[in-house]
Amino acid sequence: MGDQDDGGGGGGLTMNNLLSEVQNTLDKFKLEDDGPVNADYYSPYANLEKAAVLQEARCFHDPAAVRENPRKCCTVIAQLLHLTNTGQYLNSAEATDVFFGVTKLFMSDDASLRRMVYLFIKEVAETCNPDDVIIVTSSLTKDMTCDVDLYRANALRVLARIVDAAMLGAIERYVKQAVVDSSGQVSSAALVSATHLFEKNAESAAIVKRWISETTEATISPNEMVQFHAMQLLYQIKKSDRLGMQKLVTQFSQRNTLKSPLALVLLVRYTAKLLTDEVVEGRMTGNSFQNGSTFARSGYAFLEASLRHKSEMVVYEAAKAICALPNIEPQELTSAVNVLQQFLSSTKPTLRFASVKTISQVAASHPRLVSKCNEDLEALIADANRSIATLAITTLLKTGSENSIDRLLKQISVFLSEIPDEYKITIVRSLQRLCLTYPAKHRVLVGFLSNFLREEGGFDFKRSIVNSIVSLIKQVPETTESSLLHLCEFIEDCEFTMLSTQILHLLGELGPGTQAPARYIRFIYNRVILENSAVRAAAVAALSKFAARCPSLRTSIMTLLRRSLDDEDDETRDRASVAVSVLKDAMEEFPYVPPEEDAETEEEPKPDVPSAGDPAAFVLLQGLPMSFDRLDRSIRAYVKAPTAMESAEPLTFSALPIVEEHEEPESTTTDEIGGDAALLAAVAGEKEEKKEVVDPAAVVYAIPELASLGRVFRSSTPTALSEEETEYVVRCVKHIMPEHIILQFLIQNTVEDQRLVNCTVAVEGDSECFEVAGDVAAESIKYGETANAFTVITRNPDAALAPCNFECVLRFGVVQVDPKSGEDESDPFDEEYPLEELEISTSDFMAKVSVPDFRQAWEQVGNANEVLEKFALQFKKQDDAVAAVIDFLGMQPCDGTGHIKAGEGGKKPHMLHLSGVFVGGTNVLARAQVAASGDASGVLLKIAVRSDDPNVSRMVADCIR
Amino acid sequence: MAAASSFPPLLPKVDAILVLDGDGNRLAGKYYGDFMKVATSSSSAESATADATNAVQSVEQLRSSFERQLQQKIGGIAARPDAAEVVTVLGKTAVFCGGRSPSQGGGQQQQRGGPGDVRVVHIGPPGESELVLAHLVEGMYEALSQLMGGATDRNMILDNLELVFLLIDEHCDGGIILETDGHKLASSVLLRDGHESRMGEGGMDGMGHHSQQQQQGGGGGPSMGGGGMGMGIGGIGGDMTIAQALIQARNQIISNLSQGG
Repeated sequence: MGDQDDGGGGGGLTMNNLLSEVQNTLDKFKLEDDGPVNADYYSPYANLEKAAVLQEARCFHDPAAVRENPRKCCTVIAQLLHLTNTGQYLNSAEATDVFFGVTKLFMSDDASLRRMVYLFIKEVAETCNPDDVIIVTSSLTKDMTCDVDLYRANALRVLARIVDAAMLGAIERYVKQAVVDSSGQVSSAALVSATHLFEKNAESAAIVKRWISETTEATISPNEMVQFHAMQLLYQIKKSDRLGMQKLVTQFSQRNTLKSPLALVLLVRYTAKLLTDEVVEGRMTGNSFQNGSTFARSGYAFLEASLRHKSEMVVYEAAKAICALPNIEPQELTSAVNVLQQFLSSTKPTLRFASVKTISQVAASHPRLVSKCNEDLEALIADANRSIATLAITTLLKTGSENSIDRLLKQISVFLSEIPDEYKITIVRSLQRLCLTYPAKHRVLVGFLSNFLREEGGFDFKRSIVNSIVSLIKQVPETTESSLLHLCEFIEDCEFTMLSTQILHLLGELGPGTQAPARYIRFIYNRVILENSAVRAAAVAALSKFAARCPSLRTSIMTLLRRSLDDEDDETRDRASVAVSVLKDAMEEFPYVPPEEDAETEEEPKPDVPSAGDPAAFVLLQGLPMSFDRLDRSIRAYVKAPTAMESAEPLTFSALPIVEEHEEPESTTTDEIGGDAALLAAVAGEKEEKKEVVDPAAVVYAIPELASLGRVFRSSTPTALSEEETEYVVRCVKHIMPEHIILQFLIQNTVEDQRLVNCTVAVEGDSECFEVAGDVAAESIKYGETANAFTVITRNPDAALAPCNFECVLRFGVVQVDPKSGEDESDPFDEEYPLEELEISTSDFMAKVSVPDFRQAWEQVGNANEVLEKFALQFKKQDDAVAAVIDFLGMQPCDGTGHIKAGEGGKKPHMLHLSGVFVGGTNVLARAQVAASGDASGVLLKIAVRSDDPNVSRMVADCIR
Repeated sequence: MAAASSFPPLLPKVDAILVLDGDGNRLAGKYYGDFMKVATSSSSAESATADATNAVQSVEQLRSSFERQLQQKIGGIAARPDAAEVVTVLGKTAVFCGGRSPSQGGGQQQQRGGPGDVRVVHIGPPGESELVLAHLVEGMYEALSQLMGGATDRNMILDNLELVFLLIDEHCDGGIILETDGHKLASSVLLRDGHESRMGEGGMDGMGHHSQQQQQGGGGGPSMGGGGMGMGIGGIGGDMTIAQALIQARNQIISNLSQGG
């Protein structure tokens, strides 16, 4: 095989032939199988071989054969088409060969043959070399100008496929004429061809645009299809011209000249599009289309009027368009929903399907409006078309009221057993959503779902049920116990390893926190006895979690775990032995005293039930504070800092550098922090980073004088200190260290005949806590290059941080150079160049670091060092205020609170959760409530900041300006 | 908003037109645009050793796997010629006419005018109106059964593939709907649009040829249908000539008037 591939084109050909040979042989066998059926007659298309057909196609070159037997030529062309249709494609050489043969067929006057020739040219136009195809242009142009409509129409359509813009210019006259031709067929062909040409390339589109008056004329053609095609092309031409489109749509909707339902469907779509644009692009002033701009009013009126059209296609289109309009008011929807409701009982399946689909979309946003259709929807559950039935059920699940659920479930359970898995999955998802709407019904719904766990079904179906139940546990905590028991029963008889392990893990997480953890042990231990190795390992892990969390169960679980010590699977055995040995130590250290039993088993994670410092709880429940990936990265960053390797301090999680999220470059943290803060720091260190970034602090470490100052805590993103287009472009990166700030200036020389030498940036500010300590100059910067200059600022750690502005001046020597040779032409002379001010704010000292569980972390820090503040901010919109608060504090938004959810804007106060690590390693958490003030003049902000250090809390709260 | 995604395309296009037999084999069909050309994730593994041949093969694989999934959904459903059925396959809307549900006996096929087992399927993008697609598919199915003399079964179609190719071409050009009226479609395919001078012969030739085929393939019944059909089309052809003559006359008058003014 490899040899053949190396053979290049020839090899490919052989391969191709080989494949088709095999294909043919297969086909033959197939045919022989059902021989009796085909024995009576011979179909010219059965059992075709490409080589044979190609051989036949040679007759195209024989003028006599073409003249006398056009029928045969037709058949051969059809056979060729059939070949490509059944996957036996012609390769480029074959296609070109046949193509030349086909061009000879233009000699014949036979109409059927000509028709087939057109068809064939269109078919191969894509495979052949465009230069070859061009040769038929003259024949086609001749046909296009003849007096037979069918020839003209078809020749036009073929031409449109093969001409380029230049040729189109040459035949433009004919096409334009054809657009307004009296024959509908010709006119349609011209319009459709123009639509294709418009999409083909910009040059052709420019030509087509010139036909606008002809196209407009075609819209009043008595032929319905011509109207439709003309509308299509008009839209193409005018689509970027909003006002032109609006005028067009208004004209047509008022003049009422369009008779073709298809053309009206188009008009409805264009109207809907324009109305939507009005809203999306913010030109709608009123709340309702009826009191909007002139166009909004007339457009909406047209849609409404179309609801009463006699063609169902138009009516549906209008109803659908109205339902999809953004910000539509419920009362404006009523008439559309009424129409759709009538369609629900139509005899046409497509009509039922389309209206259920649209109603289901409306139900997502306006369930009450749709609830009046419930009766019709219920009737559709028995629909013969399962797609319709499924849609009806999912819609009912959206609109159904709480007390109709039971009845609905009964209907579904009959239905579910007889439909394919794919539909079942859709229904499972709707059930999950329903349960979120009516949490009180969780018992019934979860019970219903778990019933289906026990029935027949494929992996995807089962998984979708398990996932639904699991996510319900998270969102509706009341379902936990009943769901867990259902899942336990499911794994008793579950053939899918993946689902079993997933459920066992879940049991280990949630089981110990329930009222009676002991009841799950039996289910889990059964897995250890009965299952394959992966499930056994998961079961052992789950058991050890129970033991760690519930000291009361330890003795009995120990007995069970010991039995796995000689398991044949390595992983299972390892997990068991770790658990056994740790538990043994823990039981010796903190022997279990069995007093009031119920008091201990109801709380949340951490050292609750187990005593504080319990080694088993720590080892088995705590987990690694950061992912392996993160650990790897942090250690690399740690090693990069020059002094780290000489440090005598032991390497702990807390000593590892902090890596910030987002595009924020890596930064490093200090290495003190007491032992008891280990947990917090570790938690703080746990975050994700998507892409590899270069440590921006590396440039600092590369300079020995700066490296000796210690590890960089974090580095800011570059801020520009000059305009983008000036002679000297300067940007600044702030590297924050515990007691220093290193300002790295990236200086770019954009003057062609200059070389800059000895560049420094003089920094001057009046602040008690900052003092300029020294600088490192960039020695030489050639044209187009960028070099670094550094300025070191020391921070007085006793003074409180306050934002401070620094005046910056670029000082440098200029050497004139010859731009061509690059040689110096003068001695350096000193220059100064003023830069913009540089600000060092408190937020520069904050590393953006998220916490996995904000609420828990917040509780843990406690309110001892809490600072509460209230501000009135001058922002028009809540969104802007939220973004600004994040920016002021330089902290990481948690739990997705960084953005206001769409649709909630302006109504409710927004709660923002922020976390970060302040220089020196202090963890800071903040909760900010952003609310629109009553008089719409601004935004009210309430902020609470917690940390271990009251000074830090205060400084952070003061960041708001 | 959620609404935006459900907007129908402003330029209605068909992604594919398929003529499938009762077992879901493609008898004729046309895929337009990029649909089923771009390898989706599922097939990318197979086409790892992609050379030119394999690329072609994988397009074919994609298509046949799509058709298999389609067949799974439509297999059991029979749609009346005037009321298309609808399913969704891989996010696409598939609307079809024809087909026989397994419960129906084979005898039905022989009935004159009764539906054959062949299905005409139109595949459209997800936002496309099902009713528009249904309008198209019903038009094409009507034309097809006219052309086949009412017997749209597998053998009949295979014997007259040429007509089916032409029908698809007259019905839809590069994904854009060209003509939906069943009668007009059938007439154009048979090259009868009023210019009977030269075209008529070709058309008659074609018809005769097919009637013969019918006699061989489907027994006596369909051939009667075929004859009837020929008459029907002839009649329509005449109507169209008059209608067109009137239109021409009117246009003539209009143009004369406009020149005069």
